[in-house]
Amino acid sequence: MSGESNQRVILLVEDNPDDEALAIRALKRHHIGNQIVVAHDGVEAIDYLFGTGMYAGRDVSLKPTVVLLDLKLPRIDGFEVLRRIRENEATRLLPVVVLTTSNEEQDLLNSYSLGCNSYIRKPVDFLQFSEAIRQLGMYWLLMNEPPPL
Amino acid sequence: MNPERLARIRDLCRDEVAFEQLQQLLSEEKQPLEQEICHALFQVEQQKTLFSVITRLREFLDLETIFRATAAEVRQLLAADRVGMFRFYPNSGWNDGEFVSEAVDPEFPSAIAHKIHDHCFGDQFAIHYQEGRVQNVADIHNAGLSDCHIEILSRFQVQANLVVPLLQGRHLWGLLCIHQCRTPRQWQETEIEFVQQIAGHLGVALQHAELMAELRAEVAERQQAEQRAQELNQGLRQAIVELKAVNRELEAFSYSVSHDLRAPLRSIDGFSQALLEDCLDQLDTTGQDYLRRIRSASQRMGQLIDDLLTLSRVTRSDMRREAVDLSQLASRICTQLQHAQPDRQVEFVIQTGLVTQGDVRLLQVVLENLLNNAWKFTSRQMQGKIEFGAIQANAAAPENGIPIYFVRDDGVGFDMAYVDKLFKPFQRLHRMHEFPGNGIGLATVQRVVHRHGGRVWAEGTSEQGATFYFTLAEESVGA
Repeated sequence: MSGESNQRVILLVEDNPDDEALAIRALKRHHIGNQIVVAHDGVEAIDYLFGTGMYAGRDVSLKPTVVLLDLKLPRIDGFEVLRRIRENEATRLLPVVVLTTSNEEQDLLNSYSLGCNSYIRKPVDFLQFSEAIRQLGMYWLLMNEPPPL
Repeated sequence: MNPERLARIRDLCRDEVAFEQLQQLLSEEKQPLEQEICHALFQVEQQKTLFSVITRLREFLDLETIFRATAAEVRQLLAADRVGMFRFYPNSGWNDGEFVSEAVDPEFPSAIAHKIHDHCFGDQFAIHYQEGRVQNVADIHNAGLSDCHIEILSRFQVQANLVVPLLQGRHLWGLLCIHQCRTPRQWQETEIEFVQQIAGHLGVALQHAELMAELRAEVAERQQAEQRAQELNQGLRQAIVELKAVNRELEAFSYSVSHDLRAPLRSIDGFSQALLEDCLDQLDTTGQDYLRRIRSASQRMGQLIDDLLTLSRVTRSDMRREAVDLSQLASRICTQLQHAQPDRQVEFVIQTGLVTQGDVRLLQVVLENLLNNAWKFTSRQMQGKIEFGAIQANAAAPENGIPIYFVRDDGVGFDMAYVDKLFKPFQRLHRMHEFPGNGIGLATVQRVVHRHGGRVWAEGTSEQGATFYFTLAEESVGA
């Protein structure tokens, strides 16, 4: 692990500003003091990960600890983002948690087929949602040993 | 006799007188012999003609071709002036008709396509011709024919006339007419027989033609039926395509409901909670109560959306038929229910070995809903009882019957007056605070049961329990 990576980053890919605010609120409430980078659609997410577009010149060796990925996104959707992450040698082991509203069988199948590490359905109840975020943070940021990228 | 032979006979006789007598005798013998040879030659020609007529019959040529060729051959063989096939108009009572084919000496007029009416024929002659009568007239003016008959024959310059019936089976179809126009003519017995034979063979051709016409009509009918079937098929295919499109649309709709309708609810619930957490000191108890109501309403709506999605998924998901152990499914669900509320005293009676063919996920939904209901509606009992089992649809003849499954409880039951409302979505028979629920469960059960070809119904009494019955296959009618 490189010395710079003590600054752990969560990449939240979310186009709905309410969901973004609620997710950030939940993370903060549970003192998951990581830096949260928000990409508002698939293109932004890919630009961040590969240092292109609005993130041109970013040091891409600094990778997020986990990507929280919504599926329904403007421009490039979540499946496509996931596919590109898994396709690219530099990011293929990156932990990706699908965080979405749908529990359609087809979405679950597609997500796991493309290699997501986890699939969470956003509950309507904020307390449940907050609890899900807390567990996610605990698990992926504190308990899980990330791949040696 | 050739001269060489005669010379030899003379040598053998050695007597001029005897030779003269012998020669006389021989020439007397020769004449009938020559006549017989002539007759035999005619018969050979007749046979040839018959043969060619029969050959044509076997080739299944059309009637017109057969008539035309036969008329020409017969005319040539008999050296007649006209040979014609006369056809009666159907349903004219054998009074009207026309020549449909002929071979005629170019010196005489054609008889084709002139409508001929003979008002006495139908009454007086048709029946006799039907039985094979032959009219043999050597001279029309000396045969005692009626005036109208003579008038018709004269129209075509007929002097001698030989007429035999053309029979299609036993039906008098028409007449085969041999006319002599130049002179009267004495018809020979062999000629008459020959013409009868020809008419017989033409009768076969007529029957062939009738059969062919029937066959063609049948083929045409079949083709039409096929065409109609194809059109129906086409329509059906179109309907399937449309149905698939509708289904896809429905799927897209459900998908967007699943995604988009829930998102605002999360905001409502989330920010209400945020208000409660961050601004608690600025809210009095009424304000706090309002926010809690907002939260609970949005959560209920979230649940409703989920249940509706389940209901729609039950309808559109693909069916996979396999052997399903309903008893095992029921036990597992009951164990989970007991596990969730270990304090409740409920006796489960589950009949074992109830295996059926169906979609396991959908049948799980059925049993979950029915057993959850039974669990819910027995919650006021100190000691409840929930049963799952099957009875035979037709106890008298069990091999004809299909099993009727049932889930029975001794809970609060329901008033049979409202039984029709049970299976409609969002219909509830109990108040929310008594027994929570959305009124989606039984609607879902009904859809699954219908998809399996079965039906579902209920019996109940207020405060005395309820029984839900369902089948998973079509009941044979009248069994």
